[in-house]
Amino acid sequence: MTESEKVFQNVVCPFCGCLCDDLRIEVKDGKIVKNDEGCAISKAKFLSHDEDRLSTPTIKRNGEHVEVSFDEAMKRAVEILTAARRPLVYGLSSTENDAHREAYKIAETLGGVVDNTSSVCHGPTVLGVQESGEAAGSLAEVKNRADLVIYWGSNPQFAHPRHLSRYVRAEGEYIGDPKTGRKIWVFDIRKTISAGVADEFIRIEPGTDLEILGAMRAILRGHVLDIEEIGGISVKSLTEMVEKMKEVKYGILFFGLGLTQSKGRHRNIDAAVRLVQDLNTFAKWNMMPMRGHFNVAGANKTSTWQTGYPFAVDYARGYPRYQPGEYTAVDMLARGEADALLNIAADPAAHFPRRALRHMAAIPIINLDPKRNMTSLMAEVNLPAAMAGIECDGAAQRMDGLPMYLKKLIDPPEGVLPDRDILKTLHEKIAKEVG
Amino acid sequence: MQLENANGLGEVLKMSAVGVDVLLTSGRTLKQGRGMEIGKLSSDYFDAVSICEMDESTLKVLGIEDGDPVRVETDIGSVVVFGKHDRRAEPGVVFIPCGPYANAVTGSDTLESGMPGYKSIPARVFPAKGETVPTVEEILAEMVGVG
Repeated sequence: MTESEKVFQNVVCPFCGCLCDDLRIEVKDGKIVKNDEGCAISKAKFLSHDEDRLSTPTIKRNGEHVEVSFDEAMKRAVEILTAARRPLVYGLSSTENDAHREAYKIAETLGGVVDNTSSVCHGPTVLGVQESGEAAGSLAEVKNRADLVIYWGSNPQFAHPRHLSRYVRAEGEYIGDPKTGRKIWVFDIRKTISAGVADEFIRIEPGTDLEILGAMRAILRGHVLDIEEIGGISVKSLTEMVEKMKEVKYGILFFGLGLTQSKGRHRNIDAAVRLVQDLNTFAKWNMMPMRGHFNVAGANKTSTWQTGYPFAVDYARGYPRYQPGEYTAVDMLARGEADALLNIAADPAAHFPRRALRHMAAIPIINLDPKRNMTSLMAEVNLPAAMAGIECDGAAQRMDGLPMYLKKLIDPPEGVLPDRDILKTLHEKIAKEVG
Repeated sequence: MQLENANGLGEVLKMSAVGVDVLLTSGRTLKQGRGMEIGKLSSDYFDAVSICEMDESTLKVLGIEDGDPVRVETDIGSVVVFGKHDRRAEPGVVFIPCGPYANAVTGSDTLESGMPGYKSIPARVFPAKGETVPTVEEILAEMVGVG
């Protein structure tokens, strides 16, 4: 091995909320050439990290993106944000915790709103938990103890490709053969690829999650239901399932956006939390959201640490206020309320619905991202950033809340800074203007 | 399989003309995840998200082959994507991977929760032979007037 070749062991993957921490990454001549252990998406992230980058800061002049110096781009960003009456700071799920801190400072100094991408993924989970309480436990506990694993409205084989192989179809301290030692049930409206590998697939009718969870809870509490079926499942089968759920040693309910984005939203989560609470009368049960972006769980944590609330925070009155549905990004945009957007490490143009997007086109956007994306096409100011976990270090929270340290493997492109440094400078300049 | 119906006046209604009523749902796929990480403006991303997966019977009544364009309409808007056969799918539910094509027909009302309704949207699917599936840049321009 030459000096220009390096091998990094136990690298944390900055893609999904699994934050797999066992990657082996080879670097040659300052370029990542191999990713062992990573899933297909992880390989794409590491091996293509230098493709389609935002190479230099740009600002829009006469509808065209013009390359400018970092200072000039920052000057324009400060002008936009200090002139705005209702600025929205958004994103944060694909960057590390220290960058979050600076984003909250910017929102506070501007008297703006700060929201993270959880408002369009597990925001309803946060609301359900605030209503009914949080079940907590680690993925290691699942691996070592869980003999019944439920995925509800979640397709881990596609969204969290190593979740099953690392924690479920893996040997555990108290689980001998993972194929016989634990059962996997998938509840979904579609027979997904994950449903194909489960022991049981329970197809439910779209939009009936809340009713089914409520019925399971009623059965668990000994009520007799005077109906034959609910949500496409016979009450007889549902009763048999509940009986099995009572008899496990350790049950885990993993849930995805099939539950949070469906009819019922946070009420679905509320019902699931209460079901898990009731199940604990009979057996040890836990539940865990399948967090998507690698640090969206961290965004909820850091927002709570610093502002007091996990997302949807408004500083307009000089102190933080919390109102999902009002200060959440899609609502702020769809109502036409935000008059400037500072977007950090997210791509709302690729993920927000039509009406929200239309308003994004009507307001100036300052966009921080390593890569070109749909938001960068619309942005008035683009500021290229280093890729967290590859080109800069930092901390991120796994889906079970465990903080993980992201390594720096290679240098970012020349002149490109980590989000935290860009945002720190931006905050200093804004603070100077605002006084 | 019955591909056409007569209405009360005896007129023959072709399913391919009136479309197929479905619930549209969106979500992640492995290809969408890979495409996103390679780059949102890459052909990998376009190929991954500009599709609508449906069961075989829906493809048949629409009179199209796997990979032909379809138009998906909701109360919010319409979008042309490639119709794809999903062997696991059942009639009545179609799937567009999360991304700009799904968003083009998704409403922004969050019912005061912050979360738009990305799942189970009432929709109608039509064959769109001869129509072109817009690129990522084109769909963005169509939605907001910026490319």
